[in-house]
Amino acid sequence: MTDGQGFLQRHYHLLRRLHSLAGVVPIGAFMIIHLTTNSSVVWGALNGRAHIAESAAGRGIETFQHEVHFINNLPLLLLTEIGVLWLPIAFHAILGVAFALTGSNNVSRYGYQGNKRYALQRLTGYIGFLFIVYHVATLRWGWSFLTPAGTTWSHYYAASTLAAALKGAAGQWSVAGVIVSIGYFIGVSALVFHFANGLWTAAITWGLTISQAAQRRWGYVCSCVGAVLMLAGWSALAGFLFVADYDEAVQIEERMVEQMYGHEYLLELKEKFADRPEIGRSAVRQAATRPYPGPAPLIEE
Amino acid sequence: MGNGANSGGRTRNVVFRIKRCDGPGKPSRWEAFRVPVEPNANVISCLNWIAAHPVTMDGRPTTPVVWDSNCLEEVCGACTMVINGRVRQSCSCLIDEYAPNDGDTITLEPMSKFPVVRDLWVDRQRLFEGLKKVKAWAPIDGTYSLGDGPRESPAQQHVRYALSTCMSCGCCLEACPQYLKEEDASKWDTAFVGAAIISQARLFNEHPTGAILKDDRLDALLGVGGINDCGNAQNCVRVCPKDIPLTESIAAIGRAATIHGFKRFFRGA
Repeated sequence: MTDGQGFLQRHYHLLRRLHSLAGVVPIGAFMIIHLTTNSSVVWGALNGRAHIAESAAGRGIETFQHEVHFINNLPLLLLTEIGVLWLPIAFHAILGVAFALTGSNNVSRYGYQGNKRYALQRLTGYIGFLFIVYHVATLRWGWSFLTPAGTTWSHYYAASTLAAALKGAAGQWSVAGVIVSIGYFIGVSALVFHFANGLWTAAITWGLTISQAAQRRWGYVCSCVGAVLMLAGWSALAGFLFVADYDEAVQIEERMVEQMYGHEYLLELKEKFADRPEIGRSAVRQAATRPYPGPAPLIEE
Repeated sequence: MGNGANSGGRTRNVVFRIKRCDGPGKPSRWEAFRVPVEPNANVISCLNWIAAHPVTMDGRPTTPVVWDSNCLEEVCGACTMVINGRVRQSCSCLIDEYAPNDGDTITLEPMSKFPVVRDLWVDRQRLFEGLKKVKAWAPIDGTYSLGDGPRESPAQQHVRYALSTCMSCGCCLEACPQYLKEEDASKWDTAFVGAAIISQARLFNEHPTGAILKDDRLDALLGVGGINDCGNAQNCVRVCPKDIPLTESIAAIGRAATIHGFKRFFRGA
């Protein structure tokens, strides 16, 4: 530890351990909360306290919207986001890339399962970070030019704007929407693997698991954590992409705003979002509610 | 080497593809040799045959292939090389397992993580520097007799015996994706020491007399190139010819480093 060394060299152990810690708490812990919240769009169907929605899918939408309202009413939210999420993620990612660049890949020669996970851990780190940047930029920072239909996330219209941001305008599939949805599937899967495997290696790093038997047992625990989170992530995605009905979601969300903040506020909100394409009714539903155009013309033989 | 006439069986020919290099900094090239093998032959005996008949498969005379070896019973580690793409000792590598049929090929390369001296012979000095870095010894030198050493429990002996069988062969380093070749000796101090060194640090940290240097060892391992550079690929434990529980050593040193780091953080120095 001479004076001539740089900051990274002098505080190497501390930085490496903070990097490891940051991956578990707060980032990993947040991911558990995040995926649990998002998958409520599916498991919310079992929520007996959802009373606005009239269908099982609707109860999912209502539960999810309820969670989103709760989170957005937390005090000091922006400060929490910066301190607990953005800075730790940036720290974990920048150091992670720097550390990953000191390694190499020899899976082709030594194709052991552990070695494959070592390589995957680095690959999923890269993929996951790109995904997080896109995810936060579009849905939190409002970089709507990167979403399929130019959608901006609104926490009053949680499920519907999310469906629009994933699939396309008014929650109808578009080509860009398919690409974004596949990207989400890959990104979420990569991050869940990265967390589960990172949880396993963190136990070795900190010296929690020492014997090979202990490492194997902890491996089973981490696999279970990973499997449950993977299920939560995939079901959340499936919920927004395939289960939730766009028009029903808008209806439920507006009724919830009305209940929580009053009719005046809802009208204000609708005014504010009037020109936004994704808030309008879907093209399919619009066609269905148009007046009867009369019988189809007869075709002469 | 005979031609196998006294072994009762017919000799078969095995092709050896060998990555050759005339010296440090020289370009490497491949040469192939057809070697008649007897039952129970190993790579070393075949290299001996090549040394006696240094002619390539296409009939071109060449120099004998150079390699390093000593004990010939897998306890010194000197003859470690990359055989068919995987690192191991060549003395314990039996041709009957690797090339059971006539005309089979065996590929020999020097270890890729160490500077090549010549052909299959590499310079593993960095390994020794690593042992010095973590003070992998029990300090008993002095001007007077220290008397008998402290007693070790059988349980302790059981753990430490396995670690003491390390022969510094370098297999764990060759297979490690975090251990990269470094020709510049001035950078060895900050390059990853690797599983063998970490395991030796544990061996002497858990030695009743060696434990006196525990803090020095952990100080060295907390820095760049120490325990934190491990990426947990765990190839080391898979390729170790002595079945040393290297990943357990890494985790044990990880735990010691956790405690040592906290101590250093809160108590200073």
